[in-house]
Formats: sequence, structure tokens, C-alpha cells
Amino acid sequence: MEDKFDRGSALTVFPSDRHEDLVALVLSLVIAALVYFLV
Amino acid sequence: MVYTRRSVWPLVIGIIMVAYAYLVQSGNMAGLIKFLNTGRYAGEMVTLGYAFGSVAVVVGLWQVLATPREGHGDYYLSTVAGVMFIMLVAFIVKWGLDPLMASWGHAARPTLGFDFASVLNLNYVVMGILAGIIVVNVFKVPQWAENGVRLSRLGLKTGVILLGALYSFAELAQLGKLSVLMIGVFVLGSVWLVLTIGMRRNLPNSMTGVLSSGVGVCGVSAAVAAAPVVQAKSLEIAYTIGTILLFGVLCMFLFPIVGRAFGMGYIQFGAWAGTGILNSAQVAGAALAFQPGGIETLKVAEIFNITRVLFLPIIVLWLAVWYVRREQAAQRTVQQVDAMQVVISKFPIFVLGFILMFLLSSTGIFAPARHYQGSYFDNSEKALVRKDRAGKEIDNHLTEKEVATLRGELDKVKRPDQKAALERLAQNRKTMSEDDDALVRGVINSKALSKEGTAVLAKAHRVVRHTAPKIAKFRDLIAWFFTFGLVGLGMQITMSSIRQAGGQPLVIGSIVGVIKAVGSLIVVLLLVAETI
Repeated sequence: MEDKFDRGSALTVFPSDRHEDLVALVLSLVIAALVYFLV
Repeated sequence: MVYTRRSVWPLVIGIIMVAYAYLVQSGNMAGLIKFLNTGRYAGEMVTLGYAFGSVAVVVGLWQVLATPREGHGDYYLSTVAGVMFIMLVAFIVKWGLDPLMASWGHAARPTLGFDFASVLNLNYVVMGILAGIIVVNVFKVPQWAENGVRLSRLGLKTGVILLGALYSFAELAQLGKLSVLMIGVFVLGSVWLVLTIGMRRNLPNSMTGVLSSGVGVCGVSAAVAAAPVVQAKSLEIAYTIGTILLFGVLCMFLFPIVGRAFGMGYIQFGAWAGTGILNSAQVAGAALAFQPGGIETLKVAEIFNITRVLFLPIIVLWLAVWYVRREQAAQRTVQQVDAMQVVISKFPIFVLGFILMFLLSSTGIFAPARHYQGSYFDNSEKALVRKDRAGKEIDNHLTEKEVATLRGELDKVKRPDQKAALERLAQNRKTMSEDDDALVRGVINSKALSKEGTAVLAKAHRVVRHTAPKIAKFRDLIAWFFTFGLVGLGMQITMSSIRQAGGQPLVIGSIVGVIKAVGSLIVVLLLVAETI
């Protein structure tokens, strides 16, 4: 799959592992906030 | 490069999801749901069907009608179609294939003499990954979904961070000690073994270095992280990834079967999978395959996995120093290592996210701070006297008859502290403290009372233990994030990437992988107790 994308890598759409980690962190905090306020 | 592919399929998938949710909600699928025995999923069929279906319809319409231009909008929005494709496969597997296979396995039992679905571990996790592997290798992932499939690792990482909310201090402290000990031995041992064998067989230092990180720590990510410091070539990284994937996929399917054969419990299996399986994603797959109906095994396995991920900066630093020394000894010039820079640049941020979520949960915002696996003690009147859906009051105190049963059997209990706890229970018609609850559980487990007496104690225990609704929601969400991530992971396991494995790296990786898997199995069976 490597040649099909000019951004990210075969495993991720993000420029690096660190970017992916940070997006996962932000996504988790948003979900935690939703669970806290809505459940 | 424009990533959005004009296709009607995301729109069609959206319409299918919304229509299915509507049919379930209106009761038109009642017959099928009853046949498949999936009534417990009816709520999520409606919620997830509408939620994902609506997004797919909107994005599908945009893909059909708009003309995308190169940029961030096109790049990230084009991932939505792939997410919907993965979710559609996950829905079909979890709500259709999984119950169908369970039903067939049960039906074939009298003829075959065994339940093939249970023996072959054909649950939604295994079938989801298999479905992904079949899609990518037999049919190919559709072009419009390819970009979104690369979000599956994000799903797994988000699941791991959210998992932090489910641990209590006691659990983390005890599992943490065990995991640091086991992972310390096996990670450092595997890296050392690969380096030793690699040097003896005269493998290039770069090849040995990158292989040792992948086999020793957490698989593909570790190999990629270590590659620059040992100046590994693309072919050497490909060899390592091929070896890890081949070994990891085999382990993911074999570990749960072996675990069941040895009668392992959640803690034992979680500890074994978290230590013995090479790649992080396959650890989650094996843990969920072993216990598809709950996430206790996943929780244990992920603590072990996170512990070994925490070893990554240390291992990368070790390899950097090792590589510089080896190259200098061979009189080749290489750059010196900045230890602090290596540790900071290689530290996995998502592990910090896991710890942050655990600390947030520990403040008591999702469940009482003293919760254990989402369950907490509450014997207040509000907790014991509740109203059912019809508004009728339900009093969960012990009845006069139950108190009489209990008093009649008090003499069977010899331990003074247990006897005192039961007397307090009989007097107040409810368990009076968390310590008393522990003593009551002790009496239940000792089976000192008759069946009726034990039933009274079981009720007294049950009515003061409550599951926090927020924690229950976290469990559901985490299970879906892992399902999404694992189906997508299956779609990234191509035969061409596995075929990359070969030659010396495959031999060395397999030797060390087998030693690690068998060694950790022996240690777990001998030293890890099923209770903490």
C-alpha cells in the first residue's frame, strides 16, 4: 500500500507516530467529556 | 494528490445502516434478532446504525456531488468512507456472523461431538480480523475506502487510552508490579538474545538492531522507532515487519486456543498474551478473542503491553549505543548518540494519555474513586430502595424470612470476624460496610452455609455492589474502538507484506519468538495466580 499515498505511511494517515498519539489523546478526552456530561 | 474517490458506495452504506437501525427500532427485525439471539445488541444496533449511517449519508452525498480539491479537507474527509466500510464489516460480523456461527456450532455438536465455533474460537474478534484479511487479499479494499483503513491504528490507540478509565489503584499497583517484572525479563532477554544470535551469525548490525527491537518490544512500531538509530535499510525494516506480522498473526489465532486448553483465567492469559505476542495490535486481538464477551483479559493484557511500550525509549537508547560501538569497532564512522534526545523523541505519548485517563478516573468523576473494575460499594437507602420501569418500588433489604434463614445458620460460621459481620447483616437487613461485604463474600466462597443461606448472602452482596453507568459506557465504547481497529488491522495484513519475511531474520525472529512465547507461558502457569 506504500506507493498509493503521498502523505502519512502505509499504516497511518498521520505524518508521524507522535501526531497519531496526540490525535488519539484528544479524541479520548473528547469522548471522556461526552461520557461525563451525557451518561 | 486528490484522495477522495467519486463513488456511490459510501452513500449506499449509509442508507443501509440507517434503514437497518429503523427496521430494528420499529420491531420489523424482531424475528431475525430472536433467531440469532442478539436481543442484547438491539440498543446499539439502533444507536450506532443511525449515528454512523447519518455520517455516511452526508459524506456519501458530498463525495458524489462535490468536486474535491487537493488539501487537508480532501485528505481527512476521504478517510470517513473507509471508516464506514470497516464499521459495516464489523456490524455484519458482530451482529450476524458471530451469533450465526455460535448457533451452528451448537447445532453441529451432537454430530461432530464438539462445538466447532467454540473449539476454533470463531467469535466476532477472530472473524472480524479474518474478514479484514480476506477483504484485502481476495477482493482488495475498494479505492474509496483505502485512506480510511489507515485510521485503524488510531482506533486501537484511542481504545488503549480510554481503557485507562477502567483501572483502580489497587489493580494497577498489583498488575503493574507483575508486569514490570515479567516484561523486564522477557523484553530485555529477547533483545539480548536477538543481538547475540545476530552477531554470531554475522548479520549486519543494522539488521540485527531493528529485528531485536521489533521482536523484543512491541512489534512493528518498535522496529520503525529503532530503524533510524541503527541506520536500517528499507529492505531490513521490511524483513522485520514481515517476520513480526507472520509470527504475530499465528500467535493471535493460536494463543486463545492454547489458553483455553490450559484452562487459563483472565489474568493468566492477559499476562501471557501481553508478554509473549510480538505485536501490540495482535495482543489486543488475542485478548478479545479469548474473552469476546468482556474486557477483563484485555485490561490485563494491555497493562503488560503498555509496560513494554514504556521500555521502548530504553531499548532504542541501548540499541543506539550498541550500534555506535559495533560500528566504531568495525572502524566505520557514525554519529554519537544524544541520550536525552533519543528518550524524548521515542517516548510514546499515548501511554501518557492512558495514565492521564486513569488519573482522571481516580478522582471519582466516572465512578466512586474506590471502584474495582467499575463496581463499587453503596449501601445507602437510595441505592437499596429503587423503582422499576413501571414506577413500582423495589426494596432490596433482606426480608424477615431471609433474616430468619441467616440467623438459623449463624452457628455454622466459626471465624469471629465473619460471624460478627453476619450478625450485623441480620440486625440491619443489609451489609453495613465494604469490609463486611468482603467477609460476607468469604463466607459465600467457603460454602459453610446451606444452599438457602448462601443464596441470602449472595443477595446481600449483590444489592450493595453497583456498576457505574459511565464505566459501563466506557466498556462498550472501548470494545467498539478495538473492534474497529482490529477489523481495519486485518485489512492491512497483506500476503505481500507477510511474504517479505524470509532468510536469517525469519529464522532468528522465530527462534526468539518461540522462546519468548513458551518461556512466558511457563512463567505464567507457574507463578501467576488467577486472583489479585
